[in-house]
Amino acid sequence: MTEAPRSAGEPAPQSGSGPALLDVQDLRVHFPVTRGTVFRRTVGHVHAVDGVTLQLAAAETVGLVGESGSGKTTLGRAIVGLIPPTSGTILFRGRALDAKDGGYRAERTQLQMVFQDPMASLDPKWRAGASIAEPLRVNHIGTRAERRQRIRDLLEVVGLSPAHARRYPHELSGGQRQRVGLARALALNPAVIVADEAVSALDVSIRAQIINLLQQLQRELGLSYLFIAHDLAAVRHLSDRVAVMYLGEIVEQGGAADLYADPRHPYTVSLLSAVPVPDPSAEARRERIILPGDPPNPASPPPGCRFHTRCWLRRQLGSPERCAVEEPAPRHVSAGHTAACHFADEVPGRAAGTEAGQTAGPAS
Amino acid sequence: MSADSRAQAPGDAVLRVRDLVVRFDSGRNVVHAVNGVSLELEAGGALGLVGESGSGKSVTSLAILRLLPRHAARIAGEVWFGGRELIQLNDKEMRGLRGKEISLVPQDPMSGLNPVLTIGEQVVETIQAHEDVRRGEARRRAAELLGAVGIPRPGDQLSRYPHQFSGGMRQRVLIAIALALRPTLLIADEPTTALDVTVQAQVLELLHELTVERGTAILLISHDLGIMARMTRRIAVMYAGHVVESAPTAEVFARPYHPYTVGLLRSIPRVADVGRPLTHIAGAPPDAGRLPPGCPFAPRCAWALATCWEEMPPLAPVEAALLGGEPRPSAGTHLLACHNPVAPGEAEAGEPLRPGFRPAPPPPEYGPVTEESA
Repeated sequence: MTEAPRSAGEPAPQSGSGPALLDVQDLRVHFPVTRGTVFRRTVGHVHAVDGVTLQLAAAETVGLVGESGSGKTTLGRAIVGLIPPTSGTILFRGRALDAKDGGYRAERTQLQMVFQDPMASLDPKWRAGASIAEPLRVNHIGTRAERRQRIRDLLEVVGLSPAHARRYPHELSGGQRQRVGLARALALNPAVIVADEAVSALDVSIRAQIINLLQQLQRELGLSYLFIAHDLAAVRHLSDRVAVMYLGEIVEQGGAADLYADPRHPYTVSLLSAVPVPDPSAEARRERIILPGDPPNPASPPPGCRFHTRCWLRRQLGSPERCAVEEPAPRHVSAGHTAACHFADEVPGRAAGTEAGQTAGPAS
Repeated sequence: MSADSRAQAPGDAVLRVRDLVVRFDSGRNVVHAVNGVSLELEAGGALGLVGESGSGKSVTSLAILRLLPRHAARIAGEVWFGGRELIQLNDKEMRGLRGKEISLVPQDPMSGLNPVLTIGEQVVETIQAHEDVRRGEARRRAAELLGAVGIPRPGDQLSRYPHQFSGGMRQRVLIAIALALRPTLLIADEPTTALDVTVQAQVLELLHELTVERGTAILLISHDLGIMARMTRRIAVMYAGHVVESAPTAEVFARPYHPYTVGLLRSIPRVADVGRPLTHIAGAPPDAGRLPPGCPFAPRCAWALATCWEEMPPLAPVEAALLGGEPRPSAGTHLLACHNPVAPGEAEAGEPLRPGFRPAPPPPEYGPVTEESA
């Protein structure tokens, strides 16, 4: 693919806490839908990621939330190069990541991924140490002895003991396996880690351990995270900025505190209001917006605004025609906060967003 | 509207579980899945069983329904459902009860439905298994039920197959089947874990409305404390096959006394904690095949005393002294199994605040403890 880099004079549309380390411009990933076994013909495309623009600064965490089918996993995989994008640019330290570029492989080592299910992402026949050292072997880094030392160091960094290197995945607990997955991702000293539902499969108490470890590693190593999750409370806890995806598009993006306290897109409002909050009195008081139906099929997204078929705000406003015909562009609603909604100003923001993601603990 | 006339007097227990013990014998070792669980659920009530994977909450529910394989599971204790003790019932009697008076909404909506039968056949089958009605009448009622759980055009949907429905719609079908015969007790085992948040909100709302409207008691199993706060009136916290704390829902959140409950509540990210590390529970749950003597939480507990390593405390009302002076209306309803309960100030801090207090180390004969790093 050939990408036209952003024209020099154009400022980055979204500024984080520093210059963008990773700059994703208008990224699209379309999967063909085929029919027939002998004569395969393409009958349509699933627009998994459809024009996403996203920046990630050094040592920053961007949370990516959305429901299944929203394209958040595909976006993460396209960024680390596991899925070739259909169009769009991914700039890393200002250089385009392109499969045909000779420098691509070297840059790629700077972008690593941690997966949801460590049982599936670790080879069951390999000891943990072999899995951790694989990125080093593949890239011909170090001698055997140096790699062994590196395994010991990495295990220590993620809070395991050197003895764990001899274990097979089934001999480790879920939390320990996720630590091994993290150690493997850290082996090549990456700048960016894409964590795709990395804590979702873990039990509550173990999840807190891994969340703490992620924060500690960020402080010590200056890592940037793209933290993909459906757990809105965990995203709030970890993220500096949050992007909300719906059917392949980012519908709202902003600072974590701002976006949770004052969501401006009706989908974000309903998402935040749908999450049960571990506080019985808040639960009894809350007004919930229950969306009708299921998310539409990403192979045939609705015309106009993709959310209009389920939008509560549109119904409140008497179903304006505009939503069904004109696709809304992201609009600035406050500093560093954009929402792709024609009626973002009509959203009774603070009404719905306040409780979600803020969870009361014991005797608070 | 007939809900209240059907339900027994308030306070009357629909379900009373006493000292339920479930062991799985694998030949080489014995898995202690449930170790003396006692629960009580009043008519029309909503009880939540909360715990992490392996805590025995699902096994407890399957034992109540007598759905555990007889050759593998050894069950002891009593399960009283109204005036009947379920463990003693024969299979035929149990079949008559299951689906009619006690029903289950399973976690995974795809495996809960038969993929080669239409939705209509599956709802009709449930109705006809328990009631002597004609097929036409059963189909009419099936359509009515699908309408009641919010499935659009229910008449047309009867002839469709499970794979033609989305996850949320399948879970609605299972709720329709579970409520078809107006059971007195509904057991819902992680009913929304497989669903997206917005769809989860729909299904929880539906479950709540239907159980309240029909006076159905619900035993809800989940690891999500948010769902517990929304759906239940009482919560039992399970750890390693024991109920370690049980109290009215608001009490559990406002005044937790068990170190494990405190740890669970502190493990959830809160807005006030942004930027600070979460107070996590060190270590990992014990292997149910090699349970330690004493309290199974002792190896992870910051409040552990020497006796915790030797003896599992019984589940008993929190002493009046602990509740502080005046007996409160909730006195006697807050049950706790702990030698060294957490004081209120300590619950907020997440650690013991007694000068010089150190958790008791394991006795030498205890062997290697938990190894998940802190």
